[in-house]
Amino acid sequence: MPVKRLFVANRGEIALRILRSARAMGIETVLGVSAADREGAGPEAADRVVVLGPAPSAKSYLDPRLIVHAAAATGCDALHPGYGFLSEKPELARLCEEEGIAFVGPRPETIEALGDKMSARAMAIAAGVPIVPGTDHIADLDSARKAAAELGYPVVMKASAGGGGRGMFKAASEAELNASFESASRAAQAAFGDSRLYMERFVEAARHVEVQVIGDGEGGVLHFGERDCSVQRRYQKLIEEAPASAMPDALRTRLHEAAIRICAHARYRNAGTVEFLYDVARQDIYFIEVNSRIQVEHPVTEEITGIDLIACQLKVAGGDALGLTQADIRPAGHAIEVRINAEDPFADFRPSPGRITGWEPPRGPGVRLDSHARAGYLVPPFYDSMIGKLIVHGHDRAQAIDRLLQAIADFRLEGPQTTLPLAAHILDHPDFRANTFTTRWLEDRVLPDFAAERRADAP
Amino acid sequence: MKTPDTAPQQVKPEDIEALIEVFQASDWDEMHLTMGEFEIFLSNDPNAAPQGAAPAPAPAPAALAASAASAAAPGAAPALAAPAPAAGGPASAGAEDVPAHWQVVSAPNLGTFYRAPKPGAANYCEVGQSVTADSELCLIEVMKLFTALRGGIAGTVRRICVADGEMVEYGQPLFYIEPA
Repeated sequence: MPVKRLFVANRGEIALRILRSARAMGIETVLGVSAADREGAGPEAADRVVVLGPAPSAKSYLDPRLIVHAAAATGCDALHPGYGFLSEKPELARLCEEEGIAFVGPRPETIEALGDKMSARAMAIAAGVPIVPGTDHIADLDSARKAAAELGYPVVMKASAGGGGRGMFKAASEAELNASFESASRAAQAAFGDSRLYMERFVEAARHVEVQVIGDGEGGVLHFGERDCSVQRRYQKLIEEAPASAMPDALRTRLHEAAIRICAHARYRNAGTVEFLYDVARQDIYFIEVNSRIQVEHPVTEEITGIDLIACQLKVAGGDALGLTQADIRPAGHAIEVRINAEDPFADFRPSPGRITGWEPPRGPGVRLDSHARAGYLVPPFYDSMIGKLIVHGHDRAQAIDRLLQAIADFRLEGPQTTLPLAAHILDHPDFRANTFTTRWLEDRVLPDFAAERRADAP
Repeated sequence: MKTPDTAPQQVKPEDIEALIEVFQASDWDEMHLTMGEFEIFLSNDPNAAPQGAAPAPAPAPAALAASAASAAAPGAAPALAAPAPAAGGPASAGAEDVPAHWQVVSAPNLGTFYRAPKPGAANYCEVGQSVTADSELCLIEVMKLFTALRGGIAGTVRRICVADGEMVEYGQPLFYIEPA
């Protein structure tokens, strides 16, 4: 049954993005907001707005029962979770299923199986997808020492239950392993309620590449090409691009095939992203995880394929055929996205909420802005600091970089401090233009220089 | 410290709303802010007054109630049966005609409003009934989880704003009570 009325269980730019695609498809919309988000571009774009609870996320955006109650009480037949918040919580998908509401995402069992890194690894192995050499759960420091000796230092330890870098640490020697093991277990326990860790061989020169897929839930999977998201700070992506042009074509084909194999094996339903580590020295790829949601960086894929991925998600959720074959998906040109975070890159990325007093976004060929912000908008202090994403599309990577630099220069944004000046610094860096960077590059090379330049500029 | 030339233009209605939201999300008892000629005092105690100020300000809940029922109706004719939005229904009597000393009891979260503990049972309260701060006034249901709501105010129930079985939103006025 095609979706008739959609509940949007998110906020900010992604809520607005979803509302726009839904409206274009003739779908009615209900937006669930917290008291801090009653007004703005998102609420104005929805047919109806309901206030779920007070500003703190725990009492609004993070309460699955509240959200599904609101969706059912407002007569919605589908629910889009966006990204973040509850988007990868099996409970939300399960409650929707119980209420007869189509969840715009995978089945709850799939989210559960892919959300646990150990079971996701097992699935990758079963599907014949390469993974980084590593271990199962490690119970104590003694087993960790033995495993590290076998894998060879450096190694990285990660939380079984988590993401976002919490509970994660790198050890280049036994002394470093000894020093961090206990605190990482505790950090994992505190963040995820699960202290279990596992270990992997650490890849020194790595790039983060990922494949956008959409599955029909029956084993049919289409891929929409790959993205490179190697510009990261503390495991958070800052700049994303498509395609991953640093990768040779033969490896790219293997990457796409691996992504399809694991998703077909999981009978994956709806949109997802399969993340890989690209080992530059060995010219190899290793599976990291599947993100069972639409991602922040989906627009770069939309730009090179010309396909509205949110519309695809809503079609799949409504049981409609996508009307696409793999041959119809033909990436063209190059797209780059920068995240605009209300943070001060000159002051250790301190959050900078507050009112936007000036807002004149850039225009021009190939320029796209996904944002809920505007002049007078108050960036609330309660949530993620991202206020938008600036995306450009060009014939090739060089043109995309130039267009994005121009777009940033033309962007008049007053009020909060943002990460745009840092984005411009990165884009104009010779290493970025040469496309020779790795996931460590921003933190190891760029940020120290950026801070030093700032000091030199200071009066 | 006064900067009368610029300060008044800096404070917009949205700023005041934001301040109220911050206050409401906090566990503070009161907030008193002075910026040039602009002054705002928020308190959970209706009888409280800012230090050194003679007139008692309007209690914060009245200001919150005004913006709570701002749900917009679906633009197109609904294809599915759906409960009417909170605004515009017969139950959502405006707060304008409420005497200043009545106090509002508003919904602590979105949910379904029930006046009785179970179907067929007597209602928790009726208009004109006197209640204590601990009296249960209604149930709010979220996915079959029923939570009794206490008003926290001793007095007489003067208005019941929502019909039995309706969906209510966070902050929506449910009852007005005239304090004893």
